[in-house]
Amino acid sequence: MEIAGIPTVLLARDEFVGIIKNTMSGFGFDADAALVSFPIELFMAESDLSSIHSVFEGFISGLTTWEPSVSAIGVNKASSVKLAGEDFEDVAAQINNWFMINNWGDGLPINPPTRKRVNNILRGTDLDREHVIGKFMPRGGLVTVEAASVALAMAGGRPEYLSLLLAALEAILDPVLKHASWQASSGSQFPVVIVNGPISRQIRLNSGFGLLGSNPQRPAGVSIGRAIRFLQQNVGGAVPGIGTMAIFGPMRTTNVVFAEDDENLPKGWKCFASDRHGFPPTCNAVSVVACSGAMNIMRRGTGKETAEEELEQSLNRVARYLSQATFHYLAGYEKGTPGILMLSSVLVEHFAELGFGQDRLKKELWSRSRIPKKDIDLCGLSQWLEMDANSVVKNSCSVDPWPITAEPDNISLVVAGGGHPTHNFWFQANSPSVVGRKIKTPDRFDELLDDADRDLGCGSDICLI
Amino acid sequence: MPEFEVFDPTGAIEIEQLHAARFANLNGKKIGLVSNDEWQAHRTLPLVGDLLQSKCKDIEILAPDKFPLGNDLIDTEELVRVAQDLEVDAIIVGNAA
Repeated sequence: MEIAGIPTVLLARDEFVGIIKNTMSGFGFDADAALVSFPIELFMAESDLSSIHSVFEGFISGLTTWEPSVSAIGVNKASSVKLAGEDFEDVAAQINNWFMINNWGDGLPINPPTRKRVNNILRGTDLDREHVIGKFMPRGGLVTVEAASVALAMAGGRPEYLSLLLAALEAILDPVLKHASWQASSGSQFPVVIVNGPISRQIRLNSGFGLLGSNPQRPAGVSIGRAIRFLQQNVGGAVPGIGTMAIFGPMRTTNVVFAEDDENLPKGWKCFASDRHGFPPTCNAVSVVACSGAMNIMRRGTGKETAEEELEQSLNRVARYLSQATFHYLAGYEKGTPGILMLSSVLVEHFAELGFGQDRLKKELWSRSRIPKKDIDLCGLSQWLEMDANSVVKNSCSVDPWPITAEPDNISLVVAGGGHPTHNFWFQANSPSVVGRKIKTPDRFDELLDDADRDLGCGSDICLI
Repeated sequence: MPEFEVFDPTGAIEIEQLHAARFANLNGKKIGLVSNDEWQAHRTLPLVGDLLQSKCKDIEILAPDKFPLGNDLIDTEELVRVAQDLEVDAIIVGNAA
């Protein structure tokens, strides 16, 4: 309304002031708004409204005497900071303290983003450092190649990671993924980046044992994910409790960045980027999903069943985890995904031998995870379905049993994890889409990989699982 | 004494819009109440409207049902069109909670 020249005052919760200021900034204003705020108690059912009387004048002053903090249009670029100390360690400590004081850190040590370090990272792209990838909402800061390089430098990243990071950022900022809403949401969504193509092995991105955590032999995912988090926070304004209302905020230190084990797919099984986006099978690509939960699933049976019985029972066990009457499935009900099911290559090979390929598995999980209408009603999901603006979601309310997503193909199956059949892993999504982007490596990419071999060692059994 | 120069990681931000001009007073103004229909907005906004009306006798308050209702509709061009059609001077919007 302010854009249309109509002065506006917001009635808000105290803890939402940061979110609102970020949102105004995201709309292209300065980070400021006329608002009257209250504690959370006012917003609960049957609340006492008497506090509105005591601050009521704020609504009048918001439309009359209130003044914004900025009165000119233009790009405001943050200045660099100079810090001195007695020796290198002292300066490094001061820089880390300074970043924490300004809400730019994450509690772990950062690598100081000096010009030398950032320029080195910038060797990882052919794009100009001022190239703008997009705006990170809700604050609306400009995600430039330089800003991404600063974040990657802070996160302990390397030049050969940059092209993957830039592709992931392009995907995250694609409007269809609606990152502005999940960045600030109490639902604690986090981006999951699935990588396909030879780049994974080249830059030491993990597709095997422990791929969702740290790994000294496969360190790329942690650094790239942490850089994304720094950009979410510092450029996008998602500081916990100030710029994002993520109540629990899981996976927020490093997000999730891993490779599909696409060298070990069963015959006829498409890699995720091909299956979801139609990309060529050897294409370097990222796929991004906004997820809100992470769950290990004990899949296997006792081992005394027949192979067919074990398969049958384990599909039911896994489907029970997917079978949730959750509002989070609705965002991606028509075109997104209810989540990502991770299965090891050993397991999908076994399934394939029993006649359960990629498409059949999706159909089986879709069918077995359907929820009786009475349970949808019992959990109150029916009300959410009925008020949904998407007609596909709204119409699903009358389907009994209720499918967790509109089509079996929406279920994301990714072959990844250590070579062991016991467990699956499920990332519950709240994702309007699954966005894919091809990775554009720089002309000097081989040179960067040689540098990595020089710096990190290469070729021996100890660094190649 | 060693000195490091480091980038500010917040990068750059582009100011593209200025806030709407405020009024000297609310005399004769038409004020719309816009609701996301959540977090008790159905109770708080009418109260704010009543208090405004009692404090500023010559203003006109337009109730939330005159405007698109709900989170999905209150930041749309449709709301702007409705507000302009109704010749609204100012808006109070809630509840952000």
